[in-house]
Amino acid sequence: MLVSFAWLEELVDLDGLGARDAADALTARGLTVDSVSGAAGSEVLDLDVPANRPDCLGHLGVARELSAAFSRPLLPRPTPPPAPGPAAAGAADIEIEAEDLCPRYTARLVRGVRVGPSPARVVARLEACGLRSVNNVVDASNLVLLETGHPIHAFDFARIEGGEIRVRRAGPGETIETLDGVLRTLGPEVLVIADRTRPVAVAGVLGGAATEIRASTRDVLVEAAVFDPGSVRSTARRLGLATDASHRFERGVDPDGVLAAQDLAVRLLEELAGGAAAPGLVDVHPRPAAPRALHLRPERVRRLLGYDPGLDATRDALARLGIRIQDAPGGALLATPPTWRVDLLREADLVEEVGRHLGYDRIPVAAASARLSPLPDRLVEAEERARTALAGLGFHEAFNYAMNAAGEDDAFVGASAPGQIVLTNPIAEPLARLRRSVLPGLLRAADRNLRHGAEDVRLFEVGRVFLRREADTFPDERPRAGIAWAGAGEPRHFSARPRPVDFFDLAGAVETVLEALQPGIAWARRRSDLSGLHPRRSAVWSSAAAGDAAWGGELHPDLAASLGLETPVLVAEIDLATLLSAEAEERAHAPLPRLPAVTRDLSFVLSAGQEYAALTAALRGVAAPAPVRFEAVDRYEGSPLAEGESSLTVRVILQPSEATLTDPEVERYRSGLIAAAEREAGARIRGGTEPPMGE
Amino acid sequence: MFRDLERIEREFEAGLASAAGDPGAIEAVRVRFLGRKGEMQALLRRFASLPPAEKPAAGKALNALKTRIETAVAEASAAAAAVRRRAEIAAGGLDVGLPARTPWRGSLHPVTRTRRELERIFRDLGYTVESGPEVEDDFHNFQALNLPPNHPARDATDTFYVEGGLLLRTHTSPVQIRTMQARRPPIRMVCPGRVYRRDLDATHLPMFHQLEALVVDEGISMADLKGTIDALWKRFFGDDVRIRFRPGYFPFVEPGCEYDVSCRVCGGRGCRACKGTGWLELGGAGMVHPAVFEAVGIDAERYTGFAFGLGIDRIAMVRHGIDDLRLLMENDIRFLARFPA
Repeated sequence: MLVSFAWLEELVDLDGLGARDAADALTARGLTVDSVSGAAGSEVLDLDVPANRPDCLGHLGVARELSAAFSRPLLPRPTPPPAPGPAAAGAADIEIEAEDLCPRYTARLVRGVRVGPSPARVVARLEACGLRSVNNVVDASNLVLLETGHPIHAFDFARIEGGEIRVRRAGPGETIETLDGVLRTLGPEVLVIADRTRPVAVAGVLGGAATEIRASTRDVLVEAAVFDPGSVRSTARRLGLATDASHRFERGVDPDGVLAAQDLAVRLLEELAGGAAAPGLVDVHPRPAAPRALHLRPERVRRLLGYDPGLDATRDALARLGIRIQDAPGGALLATPPTWRVDLLREADLVEEVGRHLGYDRIPVAAASARLSPLPDRLVEAEERARTALAGLGFHEAFNYAMNAAGEDDAFVGASAPGQIVLTNPIAEPLARLRRSVLPGLLRAADRNLRHGAEDVRLFEVGRVFLRREADTFPDERPRAGIAWAGAGEPRHFSARPRPVDFFDLAGAVETVLEALQPGIAWARRRSDLSGLHPRRSAVWSSAAAGDAAWGGELHPDLAASLGLETPVLVAEIDLATLLSAEAEERAHAPLPRLPAVTRDLSFVLSAGQEYAALTAALRGVAAPAPVRFEAVDRYEGSPLAEGESSLTVRVILQPSEATLTDPEVERYRSGLIAAAEREAGARIRGGTEPPMGE
Repeated sequence: MFRDLERIEREFEAGLASAAGDPGAIEAVRVRFLGRKGEMQALLRRFASLPPAEKPAAGKALNALKTRIETAVAEASAAAAAVRRRAEIAAGGLDVGLPARTPWRGSLHPVTRTRRELERIFRDLGYTVESGPEVEDDFHNFQALNLPPNHPARDATDTFYVEGGLLLRTHTSPVQIRTMQARRPPIRMVCPGRVYRRDLDATHLPMFHQLEALVVDEGISMADLKGTIDALWKRFFGDDVRIRFRPGYFPFVEPGCEYDVSCRVCGGRGCRACKGTGWLELGGAGMVHPAVFEAVGIDAERYTGFAFGLGIDRIAMVRHGIDDLRLLMENDIRFLARFPA
């Protein structure tokens, strides 16, 4: 809602306070001011009024909040002369037929108005609050709405047939042309204001065209009524109409505010349109509601707010908000909210008022109740993720004892590793030492499965190994993930002959786990010197950040022979603690490339002993005209190559991000790659057989 | 001119008919009539030399015929392509009953699955999951748990010792001690993990898995313990599970108890799994002994707490109907593969 600061200043003494002060106070009290705009003296506050505070859908309600916030008095408004006498001079005959949907209906008659434009100050005030000026009579009713928050309606009294007002449900199929010129079909669930023969307004939502104020209007019937929120809401929904009036009636209006709204309306009609109020007010109010008194226990205030504001502060806070306080037995207070606070229904609502008035920053921060659980142990979490990843890759989870036989794990720890930790009272010799590697147990399990006739064995275990520490009597317990793999390298299917698992299958599984646990780390492979692994078909994965985090490959043929393994078994072990010691890369989005990638295939001949890693290192050393990656796409040995030579085709993929690459740029880069490969890796480009360049 | 148009139309229709839906023959017809050196082009060239008066009528007829031929050729080509696709469909059938190419599916050990399920319930209850070393010292495994040296209850657990005076933890309770040493109440934690006892027979393995729960706060009572155990097993086994508590002795709790749940195998009538009693003994429980609080420096006047334990292997066996404990450590893929991840 747009609120004029100057208007507020007419309603409450804000001497010495600015719009900004008012905005800050309102925001702190739960009526958030989204912005303050306008020049000094004509500031407008954009107020976000919560759904439970319809009383603040008018300047008066906002002024009341400021009055409470700053302990400033509300300023009296000039009131029109009292209107004693018979009901609206006996001219209007008013009856509520649907009392359940309209608890109160008041009307006054203002005679002899001259419909015309409003003065400039009224137009400006309406525009500041987001409304357009229509004519002085309609403007008067809008000013009432904006000031009191109470929607009123002005009828052209001459067009109300028989001078009768009936507040009733619409008949089936009954129609009305509303102010927006639309003919609407109503029904029994719609409450209407009707005259003797037809509906003249949809109650609480929109007036009818027939009784609209026009240039010829002389006598105005002013309606100020209370309508049932649920009924207004469903009618507004049904008709697809959301009006300033329905917005307020849906949320609930002050049942006693109708009189003040009437008074203001009459005063404005006299002032702006030159009318004269006929004596007498019609007030149909069949069953006035008794004031709602609530019990408030000081103990409850303390329990809910988490601090004790004290009884005096509690009483003061409530009193300033217009809540009448009496003492109740047992130290409790009996609080009677003002009629405009339709939201105060229970004890907890009053507690909120106290807390709100005193300020939420006074509520202490109790550490215990908002205590975050300690973060899960990263290593334990890594173990779980390793299990999930490996099971997802097709491995079965094995469990092995943390104990093994003396010397059993020597082949899988480095020559310089500390010795096994010895159990002083082992249960059996095979379980006499604490393990330093999970691989011996997995090998035993693989062997047993193979002996049972399993064709494919894929096992993993995640568990701790125990390494002796010099400085500490407690061993270094390191979580490890181990895998053992025998049989096919990919799922078996009748459509293809099974391919036996090889080093590259194993490396793929290892690197998938490394990437799953710590993404974005660049791992380099070098040959492993563990005595249990094939010296030329095994690797250690290491990175500058983490060091050696994994190792594995084919078993050393000597070990395989001594274990009596007839089927080749590949093994790998990942040290999760080492892996987690590296800083992983945050996964961040990069814009997708918009330009076409350029690819070139280069076929190199490598002689015996020359390796892919050296070749790609040489290629990476060449300055590229765009971000580049390399993929090995083909490898070939045999005629016409010499013995020990291999041909390796590397696909070079350039992905420009800023400008399309030109042919000379690409050609220059390609020549640079060929030269570097030859110079640094001893790889020569394959002559006439180079595949055609393609994009 | 018009005679030629009629002739061309006749010949085109004959030619298209004799192509008989053969794509090559249809293309030949198209070239003959519509190609750059085709009949229509020839006619078009003659059209240029017609007297102006004849041009409008001739042009109209010429265009009409050209459109007709183009349409007919396009329709014939489309029909031929459709016939070819029908033939390919007829020839390219698969035996869809043959085995699928299925990616590998690994498995998680039944003990892991059960542990995760239990942890999940405790996490939902607001507990943290803690871990600690498997090689422990005497203080954390015994003394802090009100088991001073020479305490008779130490005989009950056969402990593995390692060189240097350390031991393999006989229960996960030392993690409770370490957690209470590291953090102040309120504490709500569980500690699952491997534990070791020097025991090996048909119903005992030297390594198995425990989970213990610990809650320490102001105002914690036996009622909270019962409520928590009740909630845990109702969530795990279902709402129809019955739970009973019997007084029991553990040095680190006072009052102490053991708790049983109605047998999930026989429903309580009595079977091999419950040794005919209708009840499964799941573990011990009780209120944290003041001596334990003293050992970790927690004010036993201000705080109270409960703890209870369970054997994960046992629960996994009941859960999955596993009748032989040794299967859990044999790593037989035929067994493991029954628990796909």
